[in-house]
Amino acid sequence: MLSYLLRRAVQAAVVLLAISATAFALFYAAPSNPAVIACGPKCDATQLAAVRESMGLDEPILAQYADYVRGFVTGRTISDVDGTPIACDAPCLGYSYALHEPVRAAITSRFPVTLSLAGGALAVIVVAGIGAGFVSALRRGRPTDRVLSGFTLLGASVQIYFLGYALQYLLVYRTGWFALPGYTPPGEDLGAWAAGLLLPCLVLGFVNAAMFARLSRAQMLEVMHEGYVRTARGKGLGPLRTHLKYTSRGAAAPLVQLLGLEVGALLGGAFITETVFGLGGVGKLAVDAVVQNDLPTVVGTVLLAAFFVVVFVALADLVVAWLDPRVRLA
Amino acid sequence: MTTPAPTAAPALRVRDLSVTFTGPRGAVTAAEGITFDLARGEVLGLVGESGSGKSTVGLAAMGLHDPARTRIAGSLEVGGTQVVGACDAELRALRGSRVAMVFQDALAALSPFHPVGAQLAEAYRVHHKGAPRAEVRDRAVDMLERVGIAAARARDYPHQFSGGMRQRVVIAMALINSPDVLIADEPTTALDARVQRQVLDLLDELRREHGTAVLLVTHDVGVVAHATDRVLVMRDSLQVESGPTERLLTAPEHPYTRALIGAAPTLRTVPGTRLPTVEEPEPKPRTAARAVVADARPLAEVTDLHVEFGGGRTWSGRREPTRAVRGISLSVREGETLGLVGESGSGKSTTARVLAGLQRPTSGEVRFEGRDISGAAGDTALRRELSRHAQLVFQDPYASLNPRRTVEQIVTTPLRVHTRADAAERRERAVELLEQVGLSADHLGRYPHEFSGGQRQRVGIARALALRPRLIIADEPVSALDVSVQAQVLNLLMDLRDDLGLSLLFVSHDLAVVRHFCDRVAVMRHGEIVETGDRDEVFDRPSAAYTRELLAATV
Repeated sequence: MLSYLLRRAVQAAVVLLAISATAFALFYAAPSNPAVIACGPKCDATQLAAVRESMGLDEPILAQYADYVRGFVTGRTISDVDGTPIACDAPCLGYSYALHEPVRAAITSRFPVTLSLAGGALAVIVVAGIGAGFVSALRRGRPTDRVLSGFTLLGASVQIYFLGYALQYLLVYRTGWFALPGYTPPGEDLGAWAAGLLLPCLVLGFVNAAMFARLSRAQMLEVMHEGYVRTARGKGLGPLRTHLKYTSRGAAAPLVQLLGLEVGALLGGAFITETVFGLGGVGKLAVDAVVQNDLPTVVGTVLLAAFFVVVFVALADLVVAWLDPRVRLA
Repeated sequence: MTTPAPTAAPALRVRDLSVTFTGPRGAVTAAEGITFDLARGEVLGLVGESGSGKSTVGLAAMGLHDPARTRIAGSLEVGGTQVVGACDAELRALRGSRVAMVFQDALAALSPFHPVGAQLAEAYRVHHKGAPRAEVRDRAVDMLERVGIAAARARDYPHQFSGGMRQRVVIAMALINSPDVLIADEPTTALDARVQRQVLDLLDELRREHGTAVLLVTHDVGVVAHATDRVLVMRDSLQVESGPTERLLTAPEHPYTRALIGAAPTLRTVPGTRLPTVEEPEPKPRTAARAVVADARPLAEVTDLHVEFGGGRTWSGRREPTRAVRGISLSVREGETLGLVGESGSGKSTTARVLAGLQRPTSGEVRFEGRDISGAAGDTALRRELSRHAQLVFQDPYASLNPRRTVEQIVTTPLRVHTRADAAERRERAVELLEQVGLSADHLGRYPHEFSGGQRQRVGIARALALRPRLIIADEPVSALDVSVQAQVLNLLMDLRDDLGLSLLFVSHDLAVVRHFCDRVAVMRHGEIVETGDRDEVFDRPSAAYTRELLAATV
């Protein structure tokens, strides 16, 4: 167990290093100059050189990368465009010259939005996705199954930007059934927080739930024919208890693994959903940073997303091992 | 075994039972007009080959058929309670409490997610709602101890037990509520002979203790003779014949029963004779006795062979390897059939794979016609050359033929790889091969799924013969087949080896088959050879205690 966790931690560090290095390299290959953007349009050559120096862009790329990694581990001091020093504590993700704030602060201020959205979407995925698949499998071939399968096909084929705008128009502007999507900190007003996120979570969850519904239906149908399910029925257990206790346990492993990936991805930001509903989360931050050539923010958000994926994939493996005693962590 | 005195109501009363599966491609009748009584404490053997409908009858007694896809007619009463047409609540009260079932594959039948003690406890609790926790636990542990499993192991999971112990757990679970009727569906088929014997004996003891009536579903005539009072023979969903076991085995009336009983070689059959089959119940005796040159030179041999799996250094320490084969020496001589016998895990298949050039030996010499072939597993050119002369026949004819290729493609693949024969020549050879194994040119364009198990194994044999090899390595070639099909394939192999002068390495766990088919025998246990010698020597005067034990356990 301990050796498993240790191995996973080493693996995570390697993945994150590789990703940050790739992001750095790709960014430098792009034909644009961050100093010009930071300095502004009315910059003359001397000013530009000064900005380049203060941003550290005059150093070789490897040195810049080394600075970045060192800063992440021990913290460092960064100078702003005009040369004012800014303290950046570990884990330092750099300073965004486009946003004029440290990257970590930029991410931290937007993360509650992403966390709320991911949590809500996850609830929808579990209830509407996995739940629908479970019910579908039990009612295989009956009308319930057909309707649910139709819904999941709809979810799999529709795009968030279409569904999001359409529902927002119908449910918010036309009928007023839902509150205007937006983010209110839950500490401020819990009701407003929930109301503002309800529609975005439903849409994001529904579109992602389709895959889970189809997978859980297929898994359940396969496991239903296992010998131990028949044994449970042979003991005199009712169908619902049999399927809850035995079939769903046997069907769970691939769902948990996929769910781990999904949670990791959701916590890395949901750009389209955030854009459609005007929410300022990590996803929007990341895409904006790419558009504005804001290297530190790009690398920071990419690392964050990778971090969550690596962590939740490892967690999913732990859950699978807990569900099935035959699985040995390796 | 004694037949108990008849009592008023039978434990199981079946009248004109028919079971039909309805599906998108029409209805299939799996059982029709089945009628029998099972008295309290009696053991009835329900015998038939795969697809005969015997398991269907067992499942019907449990009410376990999916009502949405099954039509059941007739009457089936457990101790006076009608099962046919009963609602789910009535069936649930019956299942596990008055009628219980033991399945063939214990590993599949037990939940891999729960400790065995908890699974037993659940079986008790379902029918004793509100029983105190301590009572439930005690009952489960008592039952485990009764079948010879220590109480301390109640917290272990099924995968931590051996095959025989798992089947004991399943039996304990089925009998925990002392049911009136126990349906045992091939309860020992997946087990080695010695373990099979133990499980059958345990089943018999418990039956006496609980007064349970047993419906023993099996394909194995040996098990029937050993463990049943009466027998009912089924074929193609119909009841063929029934009666007391002794009479049925000694004087069967129906030709099918006769063929079924004769088809399986026993330790008393004359070795090498043609076995009766359903198509040919009274075969002509073989014309010439088998002549094997006593001191023929070895064709394939291994000397001091060791094979280990999975050892080596990991970053967290050293892992002990599994020693599958531990220093054995054996040879297959020119023209002879060597039987390699052992229980599962004895290393017999690994040895066969080494001789076929598919497994790299850890150490030791491997020779074919005097030439060193120990590197064949890692050397494509050498393995290719070896495969011209040594070919394999596999256990499972369903898994070993590519379902997407026609029989012609399957049979001619070795010719394409090894010879320059053009399409017409290959086809000509394919026809010749199919006729040799009792199929015909009409079968060339068909796919494996269009054939029965026995026909598929014939296709597998035709493929192995395509290059006119000197050695055939057959790993359990008949153990996945029904007895009458097994007889056909054994007859075919006996004909072919005489006609073609083949040498064979015949790997099997079935002593009766090996005795019938092989000239010489090597007995393996835990990766070592405990005894080797001529057939009569090993079977009539076994020198190793283990061989005697195996022979005694063969039912």
